[in-house]
Amino acid sequence: MVPLENYLVLSAIIFSLGVYGVLARRNAVLVLMSIELMLNAVSLNFIAFAAYLDPGKITGAIFAVFVITVAAAEVGLALAIVIRLFRNRATSNVDEAAIMKW
Amino acid sequence: MATEVLWWIFAAAIVVLSAGVVFSRSIIHSAIFLIGSLAGVGAMYIFLQMEFLALVQFLIYGGAVTVLILLALMLTRPDAPGHRQSLNGTQQPFALLVGAGLMVILFAVITGTTWPGSDIESLTEVPLTLVSQRLFEDFGAPFVIASALLLVALVGAIILARQEEGE
Repeated sequence: MVPLENYLVLSAIIFSLGVYGVLARRNAVLVLMSIELMLNAVSLNFIAFAAYLDPGKITGAIFAVFVITVAAAEVGLALAIVIRLFRNRATSNVDEAAIMKW
Repeated sequence: MATEVLWWIFAAAIVVLSAGVVFSRSIIHSAIFLIGSLAGVGAMYIFLQMEFLALVQFLIYGGAVTVLILLALMLTRPDAPGHRQSLNGTQQPFALLVGAGLMVILFAVITGTTWPGSDIESLTEVPLTLVSQRLFEDFGAPFVIASALLLVALVGAIILARQEEGE
């Protein structure tokens, strides 16, 4: 029986890797992939807490369903923006999309 | 115990694959690593007795989202010749600092807290009827709103990515 802490530590590792990826990467699609990692870490936490502390009601698991839904919507929109950016400026690097930067 | 050994193997695989996503030098390799990492998290849901969510994870993340990402990679051709450049920005050392710092803080918090539920012998199996009951009865309104959100977002994505006339 794996204790709850193991899931939390695993989730913390995935989340920290995701934070690193979001901050370090230049390519917009890679930033998006790192965001997916972070969202997954959060879902894993929700579900671990639901399974260990809330077995009769599993509210956390329902939250995870909504996290997955919103993540799917977010990926669709973000990739549309990336494709649009590439078509207009021939780049998918976030640091080159700086028109609105003061 | 066999389950625990299996758990550690999957956990190690998830960590290695996730590190591959953020440290890989090839963007396509990152996408492939991401598929593995997401599938590994789906396996974790099975360890947690949430078969339905594991199924959703494999279908939505392992299938739809990663295919969408690979498609966007093909359309934007970041690996094309003459396009080769560093995938990391100049801020990379600071990002490493922030990521490592966050990990240290989270570890300190997790190990410093006494979590309830450590005396549980085994997890109760979650029947699918319980999931559907919670989802459609107690969370009915958020469910409908989430579907509307998904619809609006995807219609918006189509309009954004569409090739306009005269372009």
